[in-house]
Amino acid sequence: MKMADGSTILRRNRPGTKAKDFCRWPDEPLEEMDSTLAVQQYIQQMIKRDPSNVELILTMPEAQDEGVWKYEHLRQFCMELNGLAVRLQKQCSPSTCTQMTATDQWIFLCAAHKTPKECPAIDYTRHTLDGAACLLNSNKYFPSSVTPDHRVSIKESSVTKLGSVCRRVYRIFSHAYFHHRRIFDEFEAETYLCHRFTHFVTKYNLMSKENLIVPINEEENAAPGESEA
Amino acid sequence: MGTNSGATAGINNKPVGGAAVLGVGVANSAIGGGVLSNSLGSGGGGGSGLSISGLGGQNANVGGIVTGMGGAGGGGNNGSDDGMGGPGGGPNNQQATTPQYTIPGILHFIQHEWSRFELERSQWDVDRAELQARIAMLLGERKCLESLKSDLTRRIKMLEYALRQERAKFYRLKYGTDPPQLNEFKPSSNDDGGLGGDVATDSEVPYSSVSNTTWRQGRQMLRQYLAEIGYTDNIIDVRSNRVRSILGLNNNADHDGGGGGGIGGVGSGGIGSGGENLSPNINGNESNKRASESEGRHTPAKKVQQSNDAIILDTEAAVMANFEFLGPTEMSDDDEISDDLEMVATDNEDTDVKMAKRPKSGKDMLTEEVDGSLGLGELAQLTVNNESDGAYDANAKDGTGGSAGGAGYRKTWNAKYTLRSHFDGVRSLIFHPEEPVLITASEDNTLKLWNLQKTVQAKKSASLDVEPLYTFRAHTGPVLCLGMSSSGETCYSGGLDGNIECWQLPSPNIDPYDCYDPNVHSGTLEGHTDAVWGLTTMQNNIVSCSADGTVKLWSPYTKEPLLRTYTAAEAEGGPSSVDFVRNEVDHIVVAYNSAHCIIYDTETGKQVIKLEASQEMSGNTGKFINKVVSHPTLPITITAHEDRHIRFWDNTSGTLVHSMVAHLEPVTSLAVDAHGLYLLSGSHDCSIRLWNLDNKTCVQEITAHRKKFDESIFDVAFHATKPYIASAGADGLAKVFV
Repeated sequence: MKMADGSTILRRNRPGTKAKDFCRWPDEPLEEMDSTLAVQQYIQQMIKRDPSNVELILTMPEAQDEGVWKYEHLRQFCMELNGLAVRLQKQCSPSTCTQMTATDQWIFLCAAHKTPKECPAIDYTRHTLDGAACLLNSNKYFPSSVTPDHRVSIKESSVTKLGSVCRRVYRIFSHAYFHHRRIFDEFEAETYLCHRFTHFVTKYNLMSKENLIVPINEEENAAPGESEA
Repeated sequence: MGTNSGATAGINNKPVGGAAVLGVGVANSAIGGGVLSNSLGSGGGGGSGLSISGLGGQNANVGGIVTGMGGAGGGGNNGSDDGMGGPGGGPNNQQATTPQYTIPGILHFIQHEWSRFELERSQWDVDRAELQARIAMLLGERKCLESLKSDLTRRIKMLEYALRQERAKFYRLKYGTDPPQLNEFKPSSNDDGGLGGDVATDSEVPYSSVSNTTWRQGRQMLRQYLAEIGYTDNIIDVRSNRVRSILGLNNNADHDGGGGGGIGGVGSGGIGSGGENLSPNINGNESNKRASESEGRHTPAKKVQQSNDAIILDTEAAVMANFEFLGPTEMSDDDEISDDLEMVATDNEDTDVKMAKRPKSGKDMLTEEVDGSLGLGELAQLTVNNESDGAYDANAKDGTGGSAGGAGYRKTWNAKYTLRSHFDGVRSLIFHPEEPVLITASEDNTLKLWNLQKTVQAKKSASLDVEPLYTFRAHTGPVLCLGMSSSGETCYSGGLDGNIECWQLPSPNIDPYDCYDPNVHSGTLEGHTDAVWGLTTMQNNIVSCSADGTVKLWSPYTKEPLLRTYTAAEAEGGPSSVDFVRNEVDHIVVAYNSAHCIIYDTETGKQVIKLEASQEMSGNTGKFINKVVSHPTLPITITAHEDRHIRFWDNTSGTLVHSMVAHLEPVTSLAVDAHGLYLLSGSHDCSIRLWNLDNKTCVQEITAHRKKFDESIFDVAFHATKPYIASAGADGLAKVFV
């Protein structure tokens, strides 16, 4: 690829960089990344290259620790969900969406409080993302790694936390899809985030299929593995 | 050495007579005593005084002998005339009374002359003995100072070792893991007292490595062989002298280099001069000088050395009291036998410094010399980064330096709070002007509000984790820069999306999971068409710079918030950073891609002056300015460059005042404290450095963040009124140091 002069490439966004040039540097192969944040760098690089190629983004490199791989992907999802939350803030107010719902079947209670609360949808969204940020950055559940090749070490007991984070943040997709369809579609067209997320949780079995209620657009690319039955 | 030279003197004196030999011998032992007392702890003054009095005693003795001899000569040959015994008087008397030559008169005269010459000869001999004794004394003193020096070097090493152990212990207590080893990335070495892990790792090797021990043994053996073939003291002395002179030369050069680099220890003056003043004796001064020459490159060593010198003038006991953890060390009465304190690598769990003492034979000078130079080598290896940290810590430990140092601001910053909640690099951070509150802006598109008083004790660690109180969401891309109003009520953020968002700060006691208040986001300043990279506030105005090539002045919360736009000539390229000129109203300074800064008058929009250095900047590739800040009180602009430099500019003349290589990689961020005394810089080399603006020396270096791609530290900040400093990194963390 473009690693002929790999040694001289400095991957930096200097002050004054134009938005279109932000992070626009040649890809760096994962094995050459000498950083504790290599997996994050790699994932972001893949997304940057082509956000629609969900399958490739989710293809785990060989010799990669699966726990770390899932953890980093989930961080990336939560981060990108901020973008959806920003859009929702403009339209989803406590007066219009008093409860966090998707279909009429369930009212989701906000788990950020001592006793789960019926927060308005926008609060639920914000609290869930804030809570996920705290949890995923928590030194208690994801302590700093002893080995230098990754920022955290994933304890077996903490892996279950990933599942519950997935379940909660997925409700943001579903609320947006069923109540703010235009926002959802715009966002999805740009980021393919729900698409990728559905793939992710299915692939790593982090959520049960009956909970994946947002239909995924199958038309445009070859992702036939998505059997929504 | 003292004994040896004494013996030599005695042999030379033999012709004079037994009494003279005895006298010189006594004098010599007195000198020996002087040397001894010298070696027992004084820097030179006391020792020298004693030696001189010893010489005086010797003189008295010699006088006695001379008169005795005169008496004997006269008594043997002429019983009548020797009553006076004056050497000149005798012959004169003879000539006056007997003008004619008589046989007895001639004989008497010859005898008299003979005794006079004999007397003179004995005087010369005595003089010679005296001078030889003096040489011996000086030699002895030199040896003693050398051994003192090597002893001090060892002691420094010991102290450093103990320090390392302490650090390791501290680190373990804090993180429950062993400190990272050599060349390994040290994620939190900043936490261990701000001393950096470098000292530990760099100098650990010589002690722990097995090869060194075997090497030492080998040397010992070699010396034995040398002694057997008669390669003895004298030759070894010459050799050691040579080693010494070479060493001295090298270290001199090093010392100069250090001074030129401007990274000499801050405030070493107080203690250093104290030490030197306390030893008025020439030799003492020389020893001081030599010691500081040889260790000058490395400030902590120098400081320890000097404080040691000062202490040593008292008594050894005082030294020991100060370094009681070293245990009692004894100085043997032979100069050449000096105690060798050897480090024993301690068990990781056990932080006590164990020492094995091993008396050395009298011929160990060579080893000592070599050891000494080795020690210096180790010291020289210590990275320049941490010299002042070490110095501070040493002061804190032995309790001697701190008071002498004076300046109350001089403290070691330690990482206390870790702000982890961002999913991606933290691009900027800013403190509230009064409260212990700060805001961070990240590439994860959010800003977060933190209250340092609301902490969670992190597990097995002395640092505290802080959870964010509020997350500001409005940007649709990475947030790149922050500004805060002087009242601390509002905050502004610029993003890659080209917008400047205005925020009303929620209460610092807000419940993190409170209801969403849309009024927190109180407006958007639209005008820039590309990423907003720089933002700074002054009273009610903000000025921003953007990748669209413009600098804009805003007055938020007014009808027409955009007041003015400043655009530079095409050749300057886009702006990269901007600041208000703090000591001049209505002036802003903008850094451009051309590596020039331009000061504008905000009212007229005209360029006031351009900061450029004619020769230095001529080839300005790679001199890209990452950050520009204005000194809060002086007409000085400070710029952080891609070529690792920090440069200082005079705003009135537009000239370069000072330029220094400040980091190992590009300098990305700068902050000046509210009083304008200290400068904080951050770099992609993962470290932040605190500089004394007075003498432009590095006060402390802290490794603070990890790298993501080729970026590490994005921003640093001072709290305006509270003792906090903070750094923001590409690793998604922000850290606050106290």
